[in-house]
Formats: sequence, structure tokens, C-alpha cells
Amino acid sequence: MIAVRELMKLYGDFTAVRALTFDVGAGEILGLVGPNGAGKTTTLRCLAGIIAPSAGSVVVANHDIRRAPIDAKRALAFIPDEPHLFDYLTVDEHLRFVARLYGVADAETRIPPLLAELELTEKRRSLPGELSRGMRQKLAIACGLLHDPSVLILDEPLTGLDPAGMRRMRATIAARARAGTGVILSSHLLHLVEELCTKLLVIRRGESVGYGTIADIMSTRPELAGRSLEDVFLALTGDGQT
Amino acid sequence: MGSFWFLISASWRNRWIAQFRRARSPRYAIALVVGILYIWWFLFRPTGQQGATSALLSRPSETIITLLVVLTTMGTWLFGSDLLALAFTPAEVSFLFPAPLSRRSLIAYKLIRAQIAVLINSLIWVFILRRGGAEVPSLLRALGLWTMFSTLNLHRLGAALVRTSIGEHGRAGARRSKVAIVAFALVVGTLLVAVGRAAPQLLAADGLGAFFHVLDGVLATPPANLVLYPFHAILAPTFAHTTAEWGRTIVPAVVLLALHGWWVLTSDAAFEEAAVSASAERARRIEALRERRATGKVQAPAATGLTLRLAATGHPGAAIIWKNMMCLIRTSQLRLFISPIIMGLVMGFAFSGGGVRREPAQVVMISALILIALLLLLGGRMIRNDLRHDMLNLPLLKSLPVSGGELVLAEVASAALPLAAAQVLLLIVAYAASLFVTTQAVAAPMRFALLVSGPFALLAINAALLTIHNGIAVLFPSWIRLGPTVSGGVEALGQNALSFIGSILTLGLGLLVPTFAAGVVYSVLRDQQAFAAAAAVVTGAVVLGAETYAVVLGLGRAFDRSEPLAV
Repeated sequence: MIAVRELMKLYGDFTAVRALTFDVGAGEILGLVGPNGAGKTTTLRCLAGIIAPSAGSVVVANHDIRRAPIDAKRALAFIPDEPHLFDYLTVDEHLRFVARLYGVADAETRIPPLLAELELTEKRRSLPGELSRGMRQKLAIACGLLHDPSVLILDEPLTGLDPAGMRRMRATIAARARAGTGVILSSHLLHLVEELCTKLLVIRRGESVGYGTIADIMSTRPELAGRSLEDVFLALTGDGQT
Repeated sequence: MGSFWFLISASWRNRWIAQFRRARSPRYAIALVVGILYIWWFLFRPTGQQGATSALLSRPSETIITLLVVLTTMGTWLFGSDLLALAFTPAEVSFLFPAPLSRRSLIAYKLIRAQIAVLINSLIWVFILRRGGAEVPSLLRALGLWTMFSTLNLHRLGAALVRTSIGEHGRAGARRSKVAIVAFALVVGTLLVAVGRAAPQLLAADGLGAFFHVLDGVLATPPANLVLYPFHAILAPTFAHTTAEWGRTIVPAVVLLALHGWWVLTSDAAFEEAAVSASAERARRIEALRERRATGKVQAPAATGLTLRLAATGHPGAAIIWKNMMCLIRTSQLRLFISPIIMGLVMGFAFSGGGVRREPAQVVMISALILIALLLLLGGRMIRNDLRHDMLNLPLLKSLPVSGGELVLAEVASAALPLAAAQVLLLIVAYAASLFVTTQAVAAPMRFALLVSGPFALLAINAALLTIHNGIAVLFPSWIRLGPTVSGGVEALGQNALSFIGSILTLGLGLLVPTFAAGVVYSVLRDQQAFAAAAAVVTGAVVLGAETYAVVLGLGRAFDRSEPLAV
């Protein structure tokens, strides 16, 4: 679904992301974790084609994001932590807009169940300004799911959601993965990562400090056997006292 | 006050340091050099010519500017469009509002911050007007300009406070504000009565000069001159031709400034609530906006039942245009079009004298043509449903499966198409009106040729001008104000004039090759004049269109390379 090789992003002299290599296959959920400023959002933006990598390659559904950006973007959905919406389009119009951009011919049949799934049916004629933070997040998620992407990239997907919304969101992510979507999920909520993710990529100052299944990563620090993922995370990122 | 000065000076210093650091990038470095050369050419170059600037200080100019100030003030009071003049940045709301500061201190801070724009604007106009031929020293002219812009800025803030009071306190608020409301109604009513009484003389005026002479006479005699006195008093030092005249006029202007200051500082409107509300509104609309662009006016979109249909399949560029049309429908600010429409009608009326009895059809025709010209020149500044607005959504736009070239083309078309459509409609109106004019200055075949070829030229020129505006947004996003509106308030007049003239000059450069091509075609076909004119206009439009398309593709590549951090 998505293959990343030696991904590098430089801002002048500053290296935001250094030589990241990882894969996410169909049905896999990769958790991207790291402390603040580790380069998670930069990595996700490179994967989504929002910013160009300085070096390395990103291949989405067999399309190189630099050589065939349109085809690659058509196969993925990026849902940022802060929902970027158009203030002057209603909920329904956002979905129609996305449908046209991604060529979703059966949008009329896809939109109602999606709105129902995300509890937006009653708000379909509302502008983003009339929605709560959580509702706006749900709308961004609906826009991302409408075209049934092969790869789903989520940056802090539970931000702003109420407990019921969080549970539904977790269920939605799991259901999409079961349906064959490759998911990359960035979050500080380690219990969410532990619950959902099949693989983990831990980054610190733009570099990978741990990659593999959670069991693989736990096994790299045998001295922490029996401790929580949080302890292992803090040890890997140098923020913990072991 | 010390903390305010620290906040303003540190922000100002850091902002400029950050802006100049961008000049490390070759693109910004070239733009900086071009910008400096342009400002030198526009403001500082030695020249013996005084024509244009003399005209700016002439009596008709003063009359027109007085009326524009009245119109602007009317817009402020009637439409309340400047309510967001109260807006603070989110950081200011977080830090200043919970701090132990009085309401008056907060308003004072707002006024001090606005002084930066007022001072820059005053300086720009001093340099523009210094070639006016008057003997007033630049320092005195600067003081006059500063007094004028400061008073108008205070009035804008005061009006926003009064409207807030009305909104917060209903009838009680309206009662407290009744002096301002009654005074304003008196001004407008008196002007309408005075102009109405002079209608026969205005109708009989022979040409533009005579029209403004009559209008000036009407406005200079009671009762119009009495109600216009405050406006004249504010403008008089700026338009003074001698030091003695400046000395006579500056005192009333300063008194008016002081009165405005007292009015604003003693306002008991629910300032904090309104400011927080206005700030939240702006923050919601322009969440990515940084402090340096934090004084803009923003119109909240209105949820209406009106929508446009969008098929689920087809070219994705159409979706971008559709989205921006929805933006135009839901965020367009009608007040922006009031001044050009009134200007077009007044100028159409004035121009249609021409030594013969004024015909209604002639007035309609000339007004329509003038409106076309005004929309061509100003339309791109009035609607911004393109990348100047959308660059704030750069991360979202860049994640869409649309190439940069297609996206820039769609964004330019989003603004160019509605403007060109309005102008074509006006062209048809002008042509239809021309059929009823008895004395024709242009022969019928030529008028028809221009009707047929005009739409090509209008579309091409709009597209070219909007490509320039969008190009600046793509290439230099951190140096311009992004968002749905241009810089607000009279205090930004100078900066707006600089950028407007710069874009027109760039268009002029772009028109060189199309004009040459059109000239060649006309000279080849000149035996059939009407056909030659139509062919020349279409040829010029096609060449300009091709040039514009090439620039759009280049901008598309620049868009593909742009990064959210640059905005």
C-alpha cells in the first residue's frame, strides 16, 4: 500500500526527518509515535504529498508521490489533526466537492451512510462555523473516507471527539483496516496505538528509534520486560528514567 | 502603556527581521530588489512633472474625495462592515483581556497599534503629493495627512463601538448612540436635498469640468457646506496650497481629532465582549493568519439555501471553480461595489454632457462603459475568491489530486469568469443603449465589432490581471495579506495604491506583445475598419491569453513546490 525508503526532509540546515524507511501493507495499521517536534507531522505531510521530500521515495499504491503525485493522492486520504475546512461550504457540499475531485461516481449513494456513521446527517446543511470542534473533525474524516482510499493517514484522529465519538472512531479505523485499507496513525495516545496498531514506528528528532510490531519493539529493551508501552516509548525517545 | 509599547515594538521588529530573512531565498531577494526600485521610482525619483499630483490636490479632487469619505462613512454606519475593527489577535485576547487592564487601556492599545499603518500611509502620501506644486512643506503636509488618517481611523473604531452598543443594549444602546445616528442621517439627507435642488443645473452642465464645477458650487453653499464642514475640516490641511492656508485649517482638524479620541475612549459600549466575539470570528475564518496580517475585515459566510449543482464526475478543476463560486455567493460584500457603482453613474452622467442636450440613453451607455473600466481595474481587489483566499488552505489544497497548473488555472478562472461575465453584461447594456443615442461618436459597424470582440478582450485582461494577483499570492505568500478581504480602513490606502499601481504596470508590460500583434492585424486589414478592429482585439486577446496560460503553468510549478511553512 505504502512504501517509504530513506525519507529525508531538510529545512535549510535543519534535518526534520532523517532516513525513515518503513512499509504499510493492506490491512495494516502503523502507529507513528514520538515526542513533540520529533517530525511526525512533517513525515505525514511528505507521505500525503503536501511537502516535497528532500530525498528518498514514497510509493503509494504503486505510484511514486513525486513522479505521479495525482495518482498517488487519488489513492490516499490525509486527515490532519486540525480539520481544514472551507468556511463557505456546508457539510453536504464538502462531500460533493470531494466526490468530484476524486471522481466518486456513486457519491449520492455513499454520502448518506457515511453521514449517518459519523452522526452528521442532521448537520448536512450546516457550515463549518456552526459545527463543534468534534463535528468538524468528523466532517474532515468523512471527506477522507468518501473515496474509499487505499491508504488512510490520520494525524491525532481523536482530537476534539467526545468519548462516544472516540469509540466510534476507533471502530471506524479498525473496520477500514479489516476492509484492506493501509492505515498510518499518528498519536500521543499510546493506549490507542497499543489497541489498534499492528506495527509501530517510533521517531525521535526525525530519526527512527524503533520499528516493527509492538512485541518486536518491546523485545529490543529486555530490561523493560513486563513494563508498559509508555515506559518503552519513554526509554526509546530518551525522555524516560529507566 | 510600557508593556503595550514593548509588545508593539518587539512584534514590529521581529516581523521585519523575519520578512527580511526571507530575502535569503533568491525569489524573495529578486522581489525585494524590484520592490525597492519600484518604490524609489514611484515615490522618490526626481521629476519635473507636476500634472498628476497637482490634479490630486485640485478643487474637484477635494470634492470627489470628500464625497468618497462621506460614502465610506455611510458604508461603515449602514453596513457595520467595520465591526471587526475591534478584533484582536487570539494571543492578544488570551494575554490582554484577563490582565488587570482597563477597557480604556485596551482601546488605547488598539489605537496605538493602528498608528503604525497610519504613519506608513501618511509617509507614502507625503511623497506622492510632494510634487503637487503647492508651497506647503512636506512636514506640514505629513501632519495634515496624519491628522486626517488618524481621525478617519478613530471614526471607524468609534462607529464599530456604537454599533456594538446598539447590538448589546437594544433600544437603550440606540438611545445612547442617537447623536451619532441623527448626525449621520442629517448629513446624508441634506446632501440628497441639495443635489436634488440643483438637479436642473447638473443636468444642463456641459461636460465633465462644468459638471464638477456645478457640483462643487452646490456642496460649497448652505446647507450642504454646513453638513460637510466636519469632512472638509478633516481634509482641508491635506489639500492646503499655502502654509498660511494650512495654518488656518489645521486647528479645526486637530480639534476634530481630539473630539474623536474623546468619543472613542469614553465609549461605554460592551467593548470586551464585542472584541472577543470579533476576534473569535476572525480567528475562526483565518485561523492560519499570523499577527502581521491581523487587522483585516472579514465577512462571515452566510448559510443560504442557494447552491450550485456539481456533478460527481468530470474535470476536477470544475470542482475548484464550483467551490470558489460558492465562496463568492456566500461571502461577497455588496458594500464593496457601492462606491464603484456610484462613481460610474456620476462619471457617466458627467461625461455624457458633451455640448448637446443630455440623453438618458447616452448616460446609460457611458455609465456602463465606465463601470466596465472600473470593474477591470478594481474588480480583482473587490472579489478574492481565488488563491489570495485559498492559500490559507494550502495543506488541504496540496493534498488534493489536482496538478498545480490545473489548480492555479481554476483559481484564476474562479475570479476572472464572474468579473468578465458582469463586464460583458454591461457591454451589452452599453451597446443596447447606444442604439437609442441620436448623436453617435462611433459608427454602427464599429460598435457592433467591439460588441462581438469585446468579451474576448475582457476575459483575457481579467485573467491576466488576476493571474498577477494570484501569482503574488503563490510566489510571495508571506509578504502579502492572505484572506477573503484586502487590508481594511483608510489607513491602508497608501499601501493599496502602491500594490494597485504595481499590478497595473505589470499588466502593461504583459500587454506589449498582444498590442503589437493587434496592431499588425489591424494594419493588414485596415481597409475594412470594423472587421479589422474586431480581428485586432481578438488577436490581442488570444496572444494575451496564451501569455497568461504560460504564466499560469509556471505558477502551477511554483505552487507544487510551495510549502505550508512559507504561508
